Amino acid sequence: MKNSIEIKNLTKEYKELKAVDNLSLEVHEGEILGLLGPNGSGKSTTINCILSLLNFTKGSIKILNKEMNPNAYDIKKEIGVVFQEVAVFEELNVYDNIDYFCGLYIKNKKTRKQYIEDALSLVGLENYKKFYPKQLSGGLLRRLNIACGVAHKPKIIFLDEPTVAVDPQSRNNILDGIEKLRENGATIIYTTHYMEEVEIICDRVIILDKGKIIASGTTDELKLLAEIEEKVTVEVIDLGEKYIEEIKQMKHVDQVTYHNNNLLITYKKGKNNLLTLMDYLKLKKIKYNKIYSERPTLNDVFLYLTGKELRD
Amino acid sequence: MFTHNFKYSIKILFKNKSLIFWTFAFPIILATFFNMAFSDIEKNEKLDIIDIAIIDNESFRENQIFKETFQELGNNKSKEQLFKIEYTNEEEARKLLESDKISGYLLLEEKPKVIVSKNGINQTILKYVVEEIETNSEMFQSVSERRINEKIQEEILKGKMDLDYNALSQEIIQETMKMLQNQKIQIKDISNPNLSYTMIEFYTLIAMTCLYGGILGMTSINKCLANMSHNGKRISISPVSKTKLILSSVLASYLVQLIGIVLLFLYTIFIIKVDYGNHLPQIILLTLLGSLAGLSLGVVTSTVVKKNENMKTGIILSITMLGCFLSGMMGITMKYIIDKNIPIINKINPANMITDGFYSLYYYGVQNRFYQNIISLILFSAILIGISIISLRRQKYDSI
Repeated sequence: MKNSIEIKNLTKEYKELKAVDNLSLEVHEGEILGLLGPNGSGKSTTINCILSLLNFTKGSIKILNKEMNPNAYDIKKEIGVVFQEVAVFEELNVYDNIDYFCGLYIKNKKTRKQYIEDALSLVGLENYKKFYPKQLSGGLLRRLNIACGVAHKPKIIFLDEPTVAVDPQSRNNILDGIEKLRENGATIIYTTHYMEEVEIICDRVIILDKGKIIASGTTDELKLLAEIEEKVTVEVIDLGEKYIEEIKQMKHVDQVTYHNNNLLITYKKGKNNLLTLMDYLKLKKIKYNKIYSERPTLNDVFLYLTGKELRD
Repeated sequence: MFTHNFKYSIKILFKNKSLIFWTFAFPIILATFFNMAFSDIEKNEKLDIIDIAIIDNESFRENQIFKETFQELGNNKSKEQLFKIEYTNEEEARKLLESDKISGYLLLEEKPKVIVSKNGINQTILKYVVEEIETNSEMFQSVSERRINEKIQEEILKGKMDLDYNALSQEIIQETMKMLQNQKIQIKDISNPNLSYTMIEFYTLIAMTCLYGGILGMTSINKCLANMSHNGKRISISPVSKTKLILSSVLASYLVQLIGIVLLFLYTIFIIKVDYGNHLPQIILLTLLGSLAGLSLGVVTSTVVKKNENMKTGIILSITMLGCFLSGMMGITMKYIIDKNIPIINKINPANMITDGFYSLYYYGVQNRFYQNIISLILFSAILIGISIISLRRQKYDSI
């Protein structure tokens, strides 16, 4: 498998703080790699180092088999970036914004025109060409931000939290767009702290905390790390301590918590755990409003590995 | 890529309403206010003939250039009369000065000395007239000596040994005097009937407009710097060299700034009828360099100051306004006070370089003082651009 990006022992220090700590990773050609981690975990710093925007303390970065540096224009040509901050010009309309950024990569006007149309279609902004950024909603603005970053059809795309604060419609549109980019052969590095997005679109996930990789693999591989098979939540009012203790003694039960009338039971393994629990509740004549079962999420993995929530 | 960035930089600058206001509208509004405020004063305070005294000593009587020039500038039958001159002794002159009957007096000994009791436009004019005559006098002396020596050698080589040295010297002195007539004419320009000290307000206004170009320069550079804007981050990762990006952006700012200045000139010349004199090429040169100085100020602020855009704008506006204030925008007296007491301030003040350039051009024509200002502006811009280039060489940042 060819690697698009190879990072070895990357370290970035700010005085006492290690923002990135001896990080090594490879990004395979054509994959969507999710970089997951809470705020301050080093995701954006890693990307800025890869892009040669930031000095780093030590390590090496190769992109498309070439050493990356600020003057590596042949590599830069193949890179597209969508930063988490919207980076567009208020003074230019949608079309001109995309044209300006695309024009820094594509000289030929005819080709550029086609690329701009493709980008507009990718993010669903065909009907907003003449709109100025301040006339767009937050979601549409995010889509413009993406179009500006990928209009030149790069081989490698960095998407740094592109769905922060967007409406569900725009979010779905953005995720569809990312899928299309991958279908067109792009390698994508996707950073976010929305684990559900990662589960939907990423082939592989790397979880960062305090600048270090704490886990990596496919989403299924990562979930195994949490050593949880199932989570069951029951909405029940005034559940007595006696019942909680009895549930704790049930087969395969790992942990039981009861908080704000929500009973949360985690199972390490086993099948039909939900049915067994429902039978117990019926037997004890305990009335409940809602009961549902979930597979473990990446957040559980993170919680298991670090003892804190991803969005802390 | 150069043209692409240049084209879009112009578009972005022209659509930035606040920049357009400060660059185009604000100077025109200020010019209108100046005109309203000063036009009446101007009508009432046309420059009068200046009362001066000259110490009628031997040195003065023997100095042909000083004597003739002041005779002409004090001739009450001439339209070009600038001075009303009292030829007297030093004691009498001092009394006249103390009783405010004259603006100052000239004492010619080995070197000419101008004695004044206060600062003002009259005193400055007297001082500069004397400086100009002195320069011409020195030039006259050295040219005459050189020409006499050349002539003697020439005649000796021809074999003439019985030379009449006195006649030869007189002949050459007369020729040299004729040659220097043009210099005298420039001194006469001082008596231009349109002479107006409120013109200084318009000169500082142009200086201010030139220096406001700093905001344009700063905005353009900020756009390209990864540590200054989100757009800068995006532009920095593009495969276009920083030099190309910055040069094209700065050039776009310069063009927009020049358009702003042309508009101000057109407005002041055709609408409020300001007379800038008749040295158009020099005016253009001064304006181009003044704008370059303003732009350099913006570029260096953008690259060296590690603060946000608002803070940088504040710095540029403060420097501009302070510079204009010290060069006489809020009252000409300030310029005299600084020129007299702390001249170094105005020597490094870009607003004063521009204002003084216009001032010297208008009052004295194309003279050394004008070129001194031109050179100062070039040096000022070159130093700031040099600092910016050194700072911009850094391609990566420690933090963003």
